[in-house]
Amino acid sequence: MKNKLLFLSSLVLVFIINLFAGNIDPYYYTILIYIGINIILASSLNLINGYTGQFSLGHAGFMAIGAYLSVSFSTYFAPFFIESFGQGIFGNTISFIILLLIGGIAAAIAGIIVGVPSLRLKGDYLAITTLGFAEIIRVIIQSLDVVGASQGFRGAYIFENGMKAAMIPADMSSVPYVFYSVPKYTNFFWTFAFVVIIIFFISNLMSSSYGRGFLAVKDDEIAAESMGVNTTKFKVIAFVSGAFFAGIAGALYGHFNLYINPEDFNFLKSVEIVVMVILGGMGSMIGVIIAAVILTILPEFLRGISEYRMIIYALLLIIMMLLRPQGLFGVQLRPGKKNKNK
Amino acid sequence: MKFGGLTCVDSLNTHVGKDELVGMIGPNGAGKTTVFNIITGVYNPSSGDVLFKEKSVVPLKPYEVAETGISRTFQNIRLFQSLSVRDNIRVSFVKSINAGFFISTLQIGNYLNEENEIEDKIDELLEIFGLIDVRDEYAVSLPYGEQRKVEIVRALATSPELLLLDEPAAGMNPTEKTELMNLIKMVKDKFKISILLIEHDMKVVMGVCERIIVLDYGKKIAEGNPENIKNDPKVIEAYLGESHH
Ligand SMILES: Nc1ncnc2c1ncn2[C@@H]1O[C@H](COP(=O)(O)OP(=O)(O)OP(=O)(O)O)[C@@H](O)[C@H]1O
Ligand SMILES: [Mg+2]
Repeated sequence: MKNKLLFLSSLVLVFIINLFAGNIDPYYYTILIYIGINIILASSLNLINGYTGQFSLGHAGFMAIGAYLSVSFSTYFAPFFIESFGQGIFGNTISFIILLLIGGIAAAIAGIIVGVPSLRLKGDYLAITTLGFAEIIRVIIQSLDVVGASQGFRGAYIFENGMKAAMIPADMSSVPYVFYSVPKYTNFFWTFAFVVIIIFFISNLMSSSYGRGFLAVKDDEIAAESMGVNTTKFKVIAFVSGAFFAGIAGALYGHFNLYINPEDFNFLKSVEIVVMVILGGMGSMIGVIIAAVILTILPEFLRGISEYRMIIYALLLIIMMLLRPQGLFGVQLRPGKKNKNK
Repeated sequence: MKFGGLTCVDSLNTHVGKDELVGMIGPNGAGKTTVFNIITGVYNPSSGDVLFKEKSVVPLKPYEVAETGISRTFQNIRLFQSLSVRDNIRVSFVKSINAGFFISTLQIGNYLNEENEIEDKIDELLEIFGLIDVRDEYAVSLPYGEQRKVEIVRALATSPELLLLDEPAAGMNPTEKTELMNLIKMVKDKFKISILLIEHDMKVVMGVCERIIVLDYGKKIAEGNPENIKNDPKVIEAYLGESHH
């Protein structure tokens, strides 16, 4: 009960702040939104890599699916959404909830397709599979004209003769069309509402007895299985829920940036999310949130040397491993006072 | 059971009756732990079958074996290192809990009642084993003897009908060993379960076990009540043989 009250008041707080968010300088506002999106991405990966002890390396792939699918729907089906729900605040809200869910569910389905076969295998197949998966998704998008291919995607042209396309084909230059750009639905409220949702989702799940299954899988699969925990099931649940939220984050990103490009979801983006989780301390909610904030703001200060970002991440990780292997905020496991007297 | 060309457990034929406390003894490397791993589905036997309540458990995965009512402890302690004593035991309720993924995240319906019930059951078990005061400590931070007890409690918390204990008294002194054996017997009577218990030291099991199985080089060399086992020439030889190593 206390928990639900806290949840609702957090949402109300986000709503109230949103009323004043118009006064924020656009540059800071953008950073704020990216912070929120990165918190969602890092927390959802934390569920897989931190709490459940798997190693997924393709989170940007799920983000891409969420972004591209929801943006495709909001542009190609714009007439449908406008006709059905109108463009008032109420209609936009309904449209956006549907679009967010489309992004999340599409990513979750991709999560099932990738996760079920690779999580059943013992060992570190997941890192390789997810890495490959994210690259494949990016390459596919790069060659899909319907979403602008490597040019990126800004919206849909709907021609008078019923044709739809992301770019104007050469032979159609004389046909009248309407251009539906990506609607700017994402704002402070939606972004941070999902930050609140994912925080409560993870903390509720991990504090429940059921949620002990995830932590048991991370610590010792054989012991977990022997106590009746279906380890594959728990891995898949963590993986698919992580993918779902990455899809939501993608949908939020697309409807804020209003332009998406396959390169937004490249290997570097996946690594960035992994670094947030490792830096924050695998399985530490607060740590990962703080790391997401820091790693969103940091590149802004380092704009001049942005091509060295990979190197900076690598250095950060190495320093981290040497000085604080448990992450900035991870728990240091106390060494057991094992009095082995055998 | 064969590993490569090595036969570790060879045509073992035995049983554990309802509410029975059976001891399994044998020298190092006799194959005792391997028998547990076969029963619990960690290993698949190269030939033969394991029946539990008249059904084969060989095709089952380890978690499915646990669901049928077989639970175990590990010789090389396998506690969950990032979890407290209480949370280690909470893992055992995952398989029987009504609240699934959605109820646990939304914390609706009967969620709180069920969590409280689980809490009470855990406390009851911890009380029996004298672990109630350390329930919030990290399980792996406890002394070995207590870690073994946490393992027993964790196994018991799955509500098994057959409990497999792999050297539960290892590393304890003789008094502690005897105490633990009496505790195990008490638990068996209280919860009406069958227990198969591995022990290295013949003397320890003599007092509490109704029947003893002796393994040597993967073969059963004797089986019977403690009195007969103690005087069995083959058993004496196996154990004398061991002391020469
Ligand atoms: N996975 C495995 N692969 C290969 N050999 C194995 C494996 N597991 C066990 N063995 C071998 O099987 C034999 C029996 O091992 P097991 O652990 O069952 O003995 P044990 O009776 O429990 O001995 P101890 O009293 O030392 O615990 C040993 O020779 C061991 O090396
Ligand atoms: Mg053994």
